Amino acid sequence: MTTLTFPLSRIEGHAQVVIETRDGEVHSAHFKAMELRGFEYFLQGTPAEEMPVIVPRICGVCSTAHHLAAVGALEDAYQVTPPPLATKIRELMYLGQLIQNQATSLFVFTLPDRLGLTSIFEHAADAHSEEVRAKIAGRALGVRRAGTDLITLAGGQFIHPIKAVVGGVTSGITPEAAAEMRTQLEGVLPLACELYDHYWEASLAMGERLGTWGDDSPAYYVAAIGGRRDNYYSDVIRVMSPDGVICDSFHPRDFRHYLTFEDTDYSYAGRTSYKGELIRANSLARVNMGEPAGTVYTDHYLRRFRETFGRPAHAIMLFDLARGVELVYSLERALAILEEPLDNEDTDVPYTPRDGDGYGLVEAPRGPLIHHYHIEKGLITQVEFIIPTVHNVRAIERALRVAAERYINADRVDMELERAVGRVVRAFDPCIACATH
Amino acid sequence: MKRFAVLQLSGCSGCEMALLNAEEWMDDFDLGYMTLVMSAYHVPEVEVLLVTGGVRTEEDLYRLRRVVRRAEEVVAVGTCAISGGIANLGNRPEVREVFLTHEKRIHLPHLLPKCRPIDTVVTVDCYLPGCPPTPELYMAVLRKESDFKAATSVCQECGRNKPKDMRPTQLLGFQQGEVLPDVCLVNQGYLCIGASTRGGCRALCTIPGYPCVGCRGPSNAFIEKESEAWFTSIHRVFEHMTDIPPEEIEAALRSPQLSLFLFQFADYAGGGQAPRHKDQVV
Repeated sequence: MTTLTFPLSRIEGHAQVVIETRDGEVHSAHFKAMELRGFEYFLQGTPAEEMPVIVPRICGVCSTAHHLAAVGALEDAYQVTPPPLATKIRELMYLGQLIQNQATSLFVFTLPDRLGLTSIFEHAADAHSEEVRAKIAGRALGVRRAGTDLITLAGGQFIHPIKAVVGGVTSGITPEAAAEMRTQLEGVLPLACELYDHYWEASLAMGERLGTWGDDSPAYYVAAIGGRRDNYYSDVIRVMSPDGVICDSFHPRDFRHYLTFEDTDYSYAGRTSYKGELIRANSLARVNMGEPAGTVYTDHYLRRFRETFGRPAHAIMLFDLARGVELVYSLERALAILEEPLDNEDTDVPYTPRDGDGYGLVEAPRGPLIHHYHIEKGLITQVEFIIPTVHNVRAIERALRVAAERYINADRVDMELERAVGRVVRAFDPCIACATH
Repeated sequence: MKRFAVLQLSGCSGCEMALLNAEEWMDDFDLGYMTLVMSAYHVPEVEVLLVTGGVRTEEDLYRLRRVVRRAEEVVAVGTCAISGGIANLGNRPEVREVFLTHEKRIHLPHLLPKCRPIDTVVTVDCYLPGCPPTPELYMAVLRKESDFKAATSVCQECGRNKPKDMRPTQLLGFQQGEVLPDVCLVNQGYLCIGASTRGGCRALCTIPGYPCVGCRGPSNAFIEKESEAWFTSIHRVFEHMTDIPPEEIEAALRSPQLSLFLFQFADYAGGGQAPRHKDQVV
């Protein structure tokens, strides 16, 4: 048995891919999460109301999703509904997160694979390439910065937001601040489209060069989005069958009947299945399941995506291209919300803390995220984080096996395998800090 | 061009995300290693090494020891690298027992008995606290701006009024009640510790209405002292501005959410290391 170990980079956190082969046959392909901090254990005993500020520290990339899931779980336990203005401000916070995440994944994590670079921050040797690289890097950071600025405006702190509280948000957004943000986003939208067009072209060229987009077998898809694309606050998780039909939906409270979790001895993250089947979450699931947004650019990009790749689309590299549609969508959607009055009504409602169970659901950038808390005497006595990256682990491993079988033969291992492993994993944009927590 | 590297131990990547917000470094500095944004397996010789995250696994320990040799200067970035951060909550005995159950997982890096700050392992030249630090603070460290001085406290940057006649009688929960826009959060009955927390964050949390949890750690007035000095001082602030019973405040000060602040006292987390010298802390 030969064991090939590939350390991973340009993803969030510490992970490795380990492939075992014998006589040119692929024996196993494992995705290993290498860290563990123990949030589910050490948060027991925490006063429930402190959760929304502690849990963003699970992950600095997906922090807003955890912040909102925590508030959602407490509101579910206390049976309180936030006022409409608070819901809008929370959505803005969430859109900021989506802009930041999709821009980072597209232009910082995966664009280098298309351009043959190790990083968009690596200075190029000749003057012309350096100019091109510097321009891309500058713009990419400008787009993702618009996302963090939007998180700051709607969420307070720029990485670990604080403004969502049980019953609402701490404050509204003044017309002046909203106008300033709009100006910034209006400037960023064409840059994002231009970068995405460039990314699209480079991806198609890469697809032609490689001859395949990787694992394109059908799969089940899961996402917590409503019928319309703009609803990331769906209170149910929906499932799409491999042939593109919405075949199931369930409330986060009932997730144990639908999602099964298995631990493995080789990774600090486990693996999820849907009724025993392999599932995929993240951008491709949403683009497969979502409807047109009713905005100019998003619908243009969505139409082009579907005309080119069909619906449902299955090839894994399409996760990357689907992220571009969502980047444009989140910019357009944020611009629309910022046009509405955001400081004219109450931002919160009173509530009474109660003991019991609460479930919070957010469609995080990587898929449906559930927080479950059990509260006794105001303290958390049990906590479960149902993490989107974990939903994708089986899908990642299937795709890794496809890549391994392609590049490993009886007489040699094609060194392209190393790059293929990186591309496969990055398509799923896994987040290891979340997956292990 | 000055070269720097980022070594990420067990943490959340929030510090790295914050660094990406400080776009200015792209023009003036050469990034030699940062696995979050770069496929490079070896750390080159660098002038500055930024270390984020706590030492949680034996792999963290190994990498930290190896990599610091290539750096002229080592900077501990963020609460986790400085104190172990929120992951330090896992150092309680009953939680450590749970970690021990993972011992038999031979294919994974072992978890150390405790999450540790990096200066228990290597010599640190400079500390950059914050969860995460703001882009301005990063640039001050990278550029070695000798005249840079962060605001004394979060309170100083927040600027809310402190009306003398507004004296709450009980502590409000962190989430409860409407927040008045211009009035100090302590006057409104919130447990805000901005008065003793190091400034430089632009009071990002307190201005929109959320009490400071102290992620930047103790201000210079406390940083070289033991945590007891801070407890006394916070009691004095509340005695001066409110009529809240001290027992209520005492209990709340021990809450997990203030771990970001408290663990940065050398004596509090039980690490036994000496207090950090204030000149080393940005």
